[in-house]
Amino acid sequence: MARPPSEGRNGERRARARRASPAKRVMRSLQERAKELNCLYRVEEVLSKPDLPVEKALQEIIEALPAGLQYPEPSQALIRLDSREYSSSGYGVSPWRVAVPLRRGREVVGEIEVSYSQQVPQADSGPFLREEVRLVNAIADRLGIYLERRAPGPASEQWRGAINLLREADRDLFVRVARRMIRHLYWVNVEDAREVLERTGHRQVSDAEGAGWSENRPEEKATWDDAYYMTNAPFDLAARHLSGDEILHLVQTWMAEERSSLLAKIVSNRQTSIVDITRALRRYKEQMPDEGRLPAVAQKGTVVSLIRRFLSEDLEFIGKAKRNLKATDFLEITEKTVYSRESRGRIGGKSTGLFLAGRIMGPNQHLLQGDFEIKVPNSWYVASESIVEFMEHNDLHDWTLEQKYKDSDRIRREYPILVQLFKHSQFPPDLVTGLSMALDDFQNRPIIARSSSLGEDRQGTAFSGKYKSLFLANQGSKKVRLDALLDAIAEIYASIFGPDPIEYRRERGLLDFDEEMGILLQEVVGTRVGHYYFPTFSGVAFTNNEFSWSPRIARSDGLLRLVPGLGTRAVDRVGDDYPVLIAPGKPGLRANASLDEKIKYAPRMIDVMDLEVGSFKTLSLEGLLKEEGLSYPDFRLVFSTLQRDRLVPPSPVLADPRRENMVATFEGLLGSTTFVKQISTLMRLLEEGLESAVDVEFACEGRSLYVLQCRAQSYAANEAPAPIPSDIAEADVLFRGHKHISNGTLPDIRYVVYVDPLAYAGLASLAELKAVGEAVGRLNQTLPHRRFILMGPGRWGSRGDIKLGVSVTYSDINNTAMLVEIARRKAGYSPDLSFGTHFFQDLVESSIRYLPLYPDEDQGVLNERLLLEAPNQLATFASAFAALGRVVRVVDIAEVTGGGRLRVAMNGERQEALGYLVRV
Amino acid sequence: MLCVIKEVKKQMCSDAVFNPFVVAQRQFDRVADLLELDEATRALLREPMREYHVSIPVRMDDGRVKVFRGFRCQHNDALGPSKGGIRFHPQETVDTIRALSMWMTWKCAVVGIPLGGAKGGVICDPHDLSAREQEGICRGWVRQLAKVVGPLADVPAPDVMTNAEHMLWMLDEYEAIHGGRFPGFITGKPVGMGGSLGRTEATGYGLIFTVREALKEMGMDIAETTASVQGFGNVAQYAVELYQMMGGKVTAISCWDQVACTPFAYRKTAGVDLGELRGVTDRFGGIDQEKAAALGYEPIPGEKWLEQDVDILIPAAMENQITAEAVGRISGRVKLIAEGANGPTAPEADPLLVERGIVNIPDFLANAGGVTCSYFEQVQSNMNFYWPRDEVLGRLDTKMTDAFLAVSELARRRNLSLRDAAYVIAVDRVAKASKDRGWV
Repeated sequence: MARPPSEGRNGERRARARRASPAKRVMRSLQERAKELNCLYRVEEVLSKPDLPVEKALQEIIEALPAGLQYPEPSQALIRLDSREYSSSGYGVSPWRVAVPLRRGREVVGEIEVSYSQQVPQADSGPFLREEVRLVNAIADRLGIYLERRAPGPASEQWRGAINLLREADRDLFVRVARRMIRHLYWVNVEDAREVLERTGHRQVSDAEGAGWSENRPEEKATWDDAYYMTNAPFDLAARHLSGDEILHLVQTWMAEERSSLLAKIVSNRQTSIVDITRALRRYKEQMPDEGRLPAVAQKGTVVSLIRRFLSEDLEFIGKAKRNLKATDFLEITEKTVYSRESRGRIGGKSTGLFLAGRIMGPNQHLLQGDFEIKVPNSWYVASESIVEFMEHNDLHDWTLEQKYKDSDRIRREYPILVQLFKHSQFPPDLVTGLSMALDDFQNRPIIARSSSLGEDRQGTAFSGKYKSLFLANQGSKKVRLDALLDAIAEIYASIFGPDPIEYRRERGLLDFDEEMGILLQEVVGTRVGHYYFPTFSGVAFTNNEFSWSPRIARSDGLLRLVPGLGTRAVDRVGDDYPVLIAPGKPGLRANASLDEKIKYAPRMIDVMDLEVGSFKTLSLEGLLKEEGLSYPDFRLVFSTLQRDRLVPPSPVLADPRRENMVATFEGLLGSTTFVKQISTLMRLLEEGLESAVDVEFACEGRSLYVLQCRAQSYAANEAPAPIPSDIAEADVLFRGHKHISNGTLPDIRYVVYVDPLAYAGLASLAELKAVGEAVGRLNQTLPHRRFILMGPGRWGSRGDIKLGVSVTYSDINNTAMLVEIARRKAGYSPDLSFGTHFFQDLVESSIRYLPLYPDEDQGVLNERLLLEAPNQLATFASAFAALGRVVRVVDIAEVTGGGRLRVAMNGERQEALGYLVRV
Repeated sequence: MLCVIKEVKKQMCSDAVFNPFVVAQRQFDRVADLLELDEATRALLREPMREYHVSIPVRMDDGRVKVFRGFRCQHNDALGPSKGGIRFHPQETVDTIRALSMWMTWKCAVVGIPLGGAKGGVICDPHDLSAREQEGICRGWVRQLAKVVGPLADVPAPDVMTNAEHMLWMLDEYEAIHGGRFPGFITGKPVGMGGSLGRTEATGYGLIFTVREALKEMGMDIAETTASVQGFGNVAQYAVELYQMMGGKVTAISCWDQVACTPFAYRKTAGVDLGELRGVTDRFGGIDQEKAAALGYEPIPGEKWLEQDVDILIPAAMENQITAEAVGRISGRVKLIAEGANGPTAPEADPLLVERGIVNIPDFLANAGGVTCSYFEQVQSNMNFYWPRDEVLGRLDTKMTDAFLAVSELARRRNLSLRDAAYVIAVDRVAKASKDRGWV
């Protein structure tokens, strides 16, 4: 036989092995033992599957065998049984072989043969190590017992094979299992067991755990009990009292538990580094390919330790999470987290929510099947303490410690400086290395860096949109990409000290909580179109529909906000555009019924990444379609063609978006795919898994639907519908609402802040328009908490044209009892369509009531005269803004009514709201 | 008579504080007095000749059956098969439908098309219905009324919250019941499915045909005139198109600005270039301010369209634009107003315009190009032979011109406003036909 080309290399290796240091030799030998062990475990696993046919089992053993040998690659295996042969694929006769007989009972029924298809270096027995020959023998023994059990005949003694195999493979584990057996027998009142325990009782079972604990001490002489537990005696004793099946079951369970408890110990030790945990998890995964077989108790301990370590200490959360997670799931975190040496590896709220959602979806893929594959995008995590290290590295800590306790004006003033300071700081080298690895994994696909703080995304404190999330084009050289990523992370870190989140925390008593900020790095879902990059569509889904446009839509029917392109337009409040709204439980009932409405309230803008400039951009959809035409990915899912007086599905062949009028209706997606069904199932699974209504962000590039974020849905206190008094004199009515009314009562309102829509529209300069927002912010500080309401034009706090709504953020309005948005018909917008945006989440969470008013419609009433003629108290509460008195009016109801109050009654069932004066 | 339209329209969106049908009858009585109609004719024309109230069971998406209430009022078909829309409205009342069916009779009569007046509706809110459920209502309505409507009896059309899609469902059901193809059963169908070419342009073009005739009578050369237009939607755009083709010069167009949420007018004294403006217009008729300015258009406040120093004002956007106050702001040069929109002139402004000697072509005549084209659609459908666009528009010209000449001749002869003259002609034609048939 010709000398195989690899022999030279093997020869060299052997020579090198001989030259290697004793330590390296030991290492190598240990590696070999580990392989053999794994092989035995695998065989044991195969043979313990009761439903697996014998032929299949034999084939699987043949496949498992090579992995136990020194040179798995050229090795092959063959089993002859009752004149039949089972072998590795491409099996060839070889001179470098070892064969052992295979017995069923005492009768020889075949043999196991292992061989190399090419020459490999000589070892103890031909090319084989002594231990390898023993391995094959042990497998033959075990297989013999298996065959005897599978053969018709008397009750098997399968457990003996398992015990023998275990003793061969892992002496320490054998001893621990033997001790547990004796204890078990003691518990079931076996007298002999008590005697054994009495003799050996001075040593606890656990003492024997931890292989190698005495490495650097001389071996102790085995005492009687050691010797006892190294024999089959405990099991022989068991066999007199328990059935073979019972013994086998107990032994298998304990073996699994013993292995997993080792992992639990490593994980629960807070000093263990993430590297060690990763290693332990990997080993655990190799040894326990079928984790589910582990008893629940053993699994949960480990999982809970892992949850505490990486996800959250919150007991309620742990309770929910542990049901959905397996230990090995955490490998995804440990292998994809950017951390420093000291890091504990907590990944923060947003990452946690998404990770958990991924795990809930995993085992339920069969339920989620349909036209779209539902998955989570490629993600990396930056551990949350990294921000502390970042600040320490740059000596920022002292300075930032007090920032959150400053007054809000000062925070607001200093924030821009702080952002620059952060951006000009250096990152610790560990983080830079980790982020660089992450970038290698993402290659040059666009990514988004999202805040994932410890406080974020918990029930009741969603921090919706409070911290920054930044899109990165991720184009160009590695250095350029890395610099951009570091810059973005610095900016996200700085957003901890932004005025809005601090106000939000102050209000919820979370200010003293040491906020830490993890980062979630996600590949942006999308397709490249020209120099733009965007998904076909995105959106946000809610379990509960808090805003029904039809009485037929129940709260449990859910809500979807769909937009073309990036999902920012679905979660932000935009002043000049509309997402498409769907109730997944009643997909046929659309918010817009007539053709005019469908056109008028269709999305007209699209958010995209511009890869050329490397920035996020808002484009007109019409312009994009005219420019890129059919290259809009899967445009038939999103658009309908407007043909004179009707919307029709675009023809696959004849459609021409460059020439035709396209309207984003999502009819293709909703009518011709399984999207609604799939997303409904997804929402239901997540709701069940998290035991809470959820709020999910998603994006789709045409084929796969990616879950980008998952968290508990904010909810408002459930209030009873208020009776609407019918005997109020018209002169005492301040306003009447008749659309999109929720339930509630505000019994005691003293002040009304009224931004006069006409005067506001008349403001010419941007500075003046902005000043109105600032004045409102000031009044929010000076007027009594929840004793005033805000009334004004358009969509407050929206992104886009400032004329369409007063420019405010959450911290400018958080003390109001109610926000009343006034829609003039001619303005051509409907204020209600922002339900589900971050802005609304905040209102809902803070129990700030919301009411849209349509004074130009027949049933809508707004007593403008009262608001315009009452004395204006603006100068009293915000003297610096007295010049805006024409636009911003502060009406003291007590003054107008001689000590009376404003009362607001809202009745969602009757879709009526009434604000009226109560005189004394 | 304008009051009828106003009251009825007001009624469409408010609850029944008063009865729109009573208002319509009162207005009819006034014209009947002028025409000295006999008792029997008055009795016949004061009420719909036939009305049907039907229950429409529909299997809803959740499997339950819901019963909707539907109506059809055929006010009068002395001149020909009755014609009128089908409304889907949650606050529908039979009296609203009665009033609107009467209005349809007069509207068809004034332009001299051989059709009567009808109206129908279903009490429902499409906002609370899926498309499938709406289809169920459409088909259910036809099943209940299939024997009393039809190309030779009563021809429905789209109206409030119904559109071409609804019409095709109704047509399909009608044809299934009667076993054949009867495209003339319904109008408002898409081109290629029994619809007519020229429908998009019909109202705007029709408006300018009447303007042309009015100017002729006033002894003015259209090519020497200037106009200011309110609105830049379908009606306004085609009106401007035809007016410019005839040599007129539009110097200002006002339209709603979606971004600023306020109307803006765009002025170009040298005359606007329609193609140019359309290039910077979105599909709602909103003009991009920046781009327009770059093209040399001067943006001015929206309400200034009315104050332009022009010969003709064309309100083609909203109702109630020319109020008594606004009349005072109209330039002394203005000689003619053509109402492209419905009810743009407030009732109290009408006599003030007369005082100033400004001729006002009433909405009900000026924008009748739409209904005339619906008639053409029905004619073509009945023949199953469809005309080229030019033929549709040519015939439209003839109809509109004849209608205008008849109205203006009467107005001159009897010293009536064009508005009153139009109603007198309409009622007279219907009364006469009823008499000729020996009904009264």
